[in-house]
Amino acid sequence: MSQRRVAVTGLGMVSPYGAGPADFFARLLAGESAVRMLRTDDAPRPLNLPFVTCPAFDPETTLGRPLAGTMDRFAQLAMAAAFDAWADAGFERAAADGEDRDTWGVAWGTALGGTLAYEKGYRELWQKGRERISPLSVVLGMNNAANAHISIQLALGGVSMSHTVACASSAIAIGEAFRRVRSGEAPVMLTGGSDAPQAYGVVRAWEALRVMAGGDETTAASACRPFHADRNGLVLGEGGAALVLEDWERAVARGARIHGEIVGYASTCDHSHLVRPEITGQVRALRATLADAGLTPTDIDYVNAHGTATVEGDSTEAAALREVFGERASNLAVSATKSMHGHQLGAAGAIEAIITLLALRDGAIPPTAHLDAVDPACAGLDHVTAARRDQPLRAALSNSFAFGGSNAVLAFRTVR
Amino acid sequence: MDSLDLIREFLHDRLGVAPEQVVPEAALAALGVDSLMMLELMFEFEDRFGITLSKNLKTPKTIGEMSALMDRLRREKSAS
Repeated sequence: MSQRRVAVTGLGMVSPYGAGPADFFARLLAGESAVRMLRTDDAPRPLNLPFVTCPAFDPETTLGRPLAGTMDRFAQLAMAAAFDAWADAGFERAAADGEDRDTWGVAWGTALGGTLAYEKGYRELWQKGRERISPLSVVLGMNNAANAHISIQLALGGVSMSHTVACASSAIAIGEAFRRVRSGEAPVMLTGGSDAPQAYGVVRAWEALRVMAGGDETTAASACRPFHADRNGLVLGEGGAALVLEDWERAVARGARIHGEIVGYASTCDHSHLVRPEITGQVRALRATLADAGLTPTDIDYVNAHGTATVEGDSTEAAALREVFGERASNLAVSATKSMHGHQLGAAGAIEAIITLLALRDGAIPPTAHLDAVDPACAGLDHVTAARRDQPLRAALSNSFAFGGSNAVLAFRTVR
Repeated sequence: MDSLDLIREFLHDRLGVAPEQVVPEAALAALGVDSLMMLELMFEFEDRFGITLSKNLKTPKTIGEMSALMDRLRREKSAS
């Protein structure tokens, strides 16, 4: 079967800044951090740490009470992002007359699924001493709730999959969706990811790994400092981001606006350690993606790094990029936008895929914020420390490297 | 609060159904109550009135059947 080109015709997002992808991208170009202190009234020890939330997102207003009431927040974030991407692609929620959506599908990434729903149930059982919990607990909590709701609401009769691969969840979801469209199996795929990691137990679990950045009211905004000599960890956040992938010829035939082209994807596993990343696994993912896309290192003008600001993660990624890009590495524009929007776990790959697409489309590269002293172990790359505009970008990569050793890289190209 | 009032409150909170639509002859399905929401509604009843619904319960189809069932169970509970 001949391979088809794959257009990105729809983008949607629940953003910490309150509006959609265009506003989100403009805020990043402006270097605006969305990180704030998250404070809760949880007992015995309230949460009080740098975090990213989407305070303007009201699920009942956005989705309506009946629909929002059957969803955990991770699915609400997913549904809202999916509706926006769908509208952006010019599709109606119900199939149009003669439009057969039986092969259109969903591939959705989530690292955590409905942990807030599970945690609510645990509190009922163990804190309040109740003997039973809401009958919706299972359907709120299950990891495939988001893609199931999306399939139902958008009348998509093809595959409906959830991908749970920690921080690479939505990059892998996008990659698997891309393959289905490229092969001709599905003419349209709705893809992306969402997570809401603010459950008390989830945050405490991440803290126990000693990979979370600390901070206070005055330092929270700059708490996440990827590639910085003094970086001290990641900042978690909630979010949802969605993309519509579409057979290129179909998109052109219906006059759709094409944001960009997805041209390559690969996923590898370090197969060595649960949390310590390996250069070789990342190198294999980068090279396999370039090969899949029919690109060489000289074709790539920008890399949106995984760059979470952990000590080991950033230096490993920098080393992998140096190895793959060789002499070109020092001229390779690289930025880690998590410095501003935080780490949305299963949504991160989709958020950063959108950033990469918009960088190509608009010829503008958002910076790694707060990077005034590059760690020597992360040097040898062209770190973008302030927004660059009017850049004639041709192709770009987005990296996602997960606990568990899974690596995923996506390749995008400007429309031509 | 009687059973009908509780059904009205629940359907208003969860589905935005106007209280005047919640009349005995109204079909639950027509008001948007699917099988999942029926479970929620029964859970709410058990909680609020301290009753236990049998697992073999015949699922009510109308508001009237639902409220009559709840009223009967509450009477049985207060008589026991």
